[in-house]
Amino acid sequence: MAAVGIARGLGVTLRNLFRRKVTTQYPDAIRPKPVRFHGRHVLNRYEDGMEKCIGCELCAGVCPARCIYVRGADNPPDSPVSPGERFGYVYEINFLRCIFCGLCVEACPTEAITMSNLFEWSFTDRKDAIFGKDLLLVEADGTPRHKGSPYFDPESLRESGGWMRATSPSGDGDYVGVGGWSSDAGYGVRPGEAGQRAIVDAPETTAEDHA
Amino acid sequence: MDWVDYLIRSVVAVVVFAAILGTCTLLVWFERRGAAWMQVRVGPNKAGPFGLLQTVADAVKLLTKEVFVPDSADPLVYRIAPLLSLLPAFLALTIVPFGPGFHIGDRYVPMQIADLNIGILWLLCMSSIAVYGYILAGWSSGSKYPLLGAVRQSAQVISYELVMSLAIIPVVIWAGTLSTSGIVEAQSRYHWYVVPLIVPAIAFFVSGIAETNRPPFDLVEAESELVAGAITEYGGVRFMMFFLAEYTNIITISAITTTLFLGGWNGPILFGTIAGWSVVPLWGLFWFLLKTGVLLFVFIWVRVSLPRLRYDQLMTFGWKIMIGVNVAVVLAVSFVIALMEQGALPMFWAPPGR
Amino acid sequence: MTQTHHSRARVIPPSVLRPVTQTDEGSQEMMRPGETNVVAVRRQRGIITNADFDELLDAPEDETMIINMGPQHPSTHGVLRLMVELDGEEVLRVQPVVGYLHTGMEKTAEDLMFIQGSTNVTRMDYLAPMTNELCFSLAVERLLGVEVPPRAAAIRVLMCELNRISSHMIWFATSGMDLGATTVMIHGLREREKILNFFEKTTGLRMNHDYIRPGGVAADLPDGWERDVADILDVLPPRIAESRELLDDNPIFQRRTQGVGELTREEALALGVTGPMLRASGVKWDLRKAFPYSGYDQYEFDVPTWDTCDVWGRYMVRMAEIGESVRICRQVLDSMPRGDYRVQDKKVTPPPRRRIDESMEALIHHFKLFTEGFKVPEGETYVAIESPRGELGCYLVADGGSKAYRQHTRGPCFVHVHALPAMMVGGLVADAIVTIAAADPVLGEVDR
Repeated sequence: MAAVGIARGLGVTLRNLFRRKVTTQYPDAIRPKPVRFHGRHVLNRYEDGMEKCIGCELCAGVCPARCIYVRGADNPPDSPVSPGERFGYVYEINFLRCIFCGLCVEACPTEAITMSNLFEWSFTDRKDAIFGKDLLLVEADGTPRHKGSPYFDPESLRESGGWMRATSPSGDGDYVGVGGWSSDAGYGVRPGEAGQRAIVDAPETTAEDHA
Repeated sequence: MDWVDYLIRSVVAVVVFAAILGTCTLLVWFERRGAAWMQVRVGPNKAGPFGLLQTVADAVKLLTKEVFVPDSADPLVYRIAPLLSLLPAFLALTIVPFGPGFHIGDRYVPMQIADLNIGILWLLCMSSIAVYGYILAGWSSGSKYPLLGAVRQSAQVISYELVMSLAIIPVVIWAGTLSTSGIVEAQSRYHWYVVPLIVPAIAFFVSGIAETNRPPFDLVEAESELVAGAITEYGGVRFMMFFLAEYTNIITISAITTTLFLGGWNGPILFGTIAGWSVVPLWGLFWFLLKTGVLLFVFIWVRVSLPRLRYDQLMTFGWKIMIGVNVAVVLAVSFVIALMEQGALPMFWAPPGR
Repeated sequence: MTQTHHSRARVIPPSVLRPVTQTDEGSQEMMRPGETNVVAVRRQRGIITNADFDELLDAPEDETMIINMGPQHPSTHGVLRLMVELDGEEVLRVQPVVGYLHTGMEKTAEDLMFIQGSTNVTRMDYLAPMTNELCFSLAVERLLGVEVPPRAAAIRVLMCELNRISSHMIWFATSGMDLGATTVMIHGLREREKILNFFEKTTGLRMNHDYIRPGGVAADLPDGWERDVADILDVLPPRIAESRELLDDNPIFQRRTQGVGELTREEALALGVTGPMLRASGVKWDLRKAFPYSGYDQYEFDVPTWDTCDVWGRYMVRMAEIGESVRICRQVLDSMPRGDYRVQDKKVTPPPRRRIDESMEALIHHFKLFTEGFKVPEGETYVAIESPRGELGCYLVADGGSKAYRQHTRGPCFVHVHALPAMMVGGLVADAIVTIAAADPVLGEVDR
């Protein structure tokens, strides 16, 4: 009886010997990220290159880790940075404090801050953990800026803001799949999830052209 | 014996020593990859082809670490303990016949460092000395967890040493010799001793696992209980010595089990060996390595599959079951042999030379 | 040069040099029986019921060893510190010392709006973040007097039950590791991985989700969730059954767990032990049945119990609970209601993103909610739910503002850690390890 018990255990490990292994060979193989992945934040632009951030500080206000520092300033009349009156003059996130809860993304009224799929970055100095607009703001064509990684999959950069879109109905069943977010430079209006029902309106018609 | 014979012996010794070091490196890799595969993992695969150089990298890391002695340790004993563990491990291997000897011209080249006529006693002797390495390491570290490990080691070793000796006695009676090469010779003529002596064979291997402090009998190290047991306070090259000793011991136990019970370098014919099978020495070496390799795999297989025993359960198992059974086997074997010699039983499984 | 180096040695003022017993660390030293009082010794020996304590103080003094197990030890599951008095390998006294992971989360909760609160509590029991969030959210909802929509309740049940499986799987893994069964560990983590992948797909994070919030859940289930959940429920039970082959019939495992870490029914009740530990002592007590919350009364499930009062019983109860969780998940899968998944109260839930651009009122609500949060009426409440480890309670006091006046968590692990002496005394060191593993402490929740 005892020998049978031991033999059964030995059998399990022997069977495992011939099974497909479960380890993901990162970085040689990269696990696909889910749409809602909470990666590093990016500051988005409208399709005409205008910044979406209006410096309202809602993100800083709701951040439970208090890692966001925003200062707004009036747009210069001759060369406005954002479509409204004001723009985010200073925008810093301290990634040593950030807990990636995504509340800033939900709070942002203009979808300026969203979460990308970037997660491979490091720093050797605490000061480097504070990312300013120079790193957070996307390029004019909508590509997130990053310090690069030999293993990074550039395709996955196209996936961004999934958490913002997933939370946009805010629990209202009537608004599931309705959209409500603006278009991004280089990508247009990104499709949302179908949710409980198929998207009622085509994404194009729900786009509000802020620019 | 003239100087050429001594030279031959020296060359054999150097070759075996180098081979053991290389095998240890391979064994660590084999264990890590094998254990990983049995746990649906991949294991080390980055350093070198298939991760073969992982152990080398680890060894380099350990060698370049600071050599230190803890403040509360007994400095002399603390330094001696690793040597006391490693040296007997190597010395025990000297009696293992890796293959049949062969002739170059009229010179005889043994594939064994020392063919002692008391070979088995030498093995028991060396394994008894080796345990002092762990005991003294634990005692001299001046720390509580190592001390517990040392206490466990002394108790465990005394019990399983006894089991091991009792498991060897039937072989010795059957073969009529203490020499390891003699035992292999004896098995080449009739049968492997695993056939009549299956119980001592299992007992020997199990107590071998216990002697080498391998899971599920790794109470001396017992990571989850005693951190690293007797060698908690060791690091760098001294730790590496213990590590090397452990793996050398694994090889020794596998090799001795092969020698005593699995026919040594004999080919896979259980009852009598086809003439000429084992004449080619390298062929014999192949069978020896294959059988040893299978036993090494069993070491790893058992390790990944079974939970660890408790200290008192290990003692109970050793004293109440293993020793009792083996004493009975020794008596039975003696009785059978006596009957054979008296002619009361046919000499079917007869020992050679009788 | 050497001279100057020596002369720069720091001089410690005499006022700082206190006897070690007066320092924070030293005052927790385990004293010899003769140097301390009966109450402490009684507690350390895990004596719950009235016994004669005259003999307690004259224990053999010279032949025992007091050893620190933790806070850095491979199997104290984090930074638990146990001071253990040993006679050889036998455990004579145990004194748990907690606080090495104290991060002041309960105090932090007083400085966070209720809308942010889930990000905080989810970090307490980090192996069962969903239950923490649920407990906090239920407390806030009770003070607010709101009822979440049925879909939100069903999603919560689904996530909590999946979390229970993943938590039990990591318990399975780590206790296997503590027993030296390493394959069990990899199997357990592999199974947990599958559930974490679903969590990541749903919440964007693998742990510390901030998903269950006061008023509902943050986001709807992701596209294709039915397939994912069905896959988990189909794949896991046979895999777990196979992993159990490594342990169930194994004589070593049976002897390592049966009769080890015994806690009788009376002791368990006296110590406030809950969850699988209590059920393994033969008490059929489950808050999901006793005080159903979040719609648990709609689902059919049993409360598995065992009467051996030992580690083996805890193992069997937890394994059976996985089966019950699978049962509940299947029912949720079949009966998931449609509709809202957050309470549609403008003062609690921010407006849908589309409404921000359509309505000024919505925009104002959005701004107010994300800066000031929502106000919770003055009052206090205690909500307890069945976490994978036992009764997880949230005591919440609101002063009418948008932040908690006081938030206290009643963690099951905290109670279980202090039940350790009763289970460990009389066993061996190896039993102590198994007993700790079977208590399944998560130090994040013990220390908070």
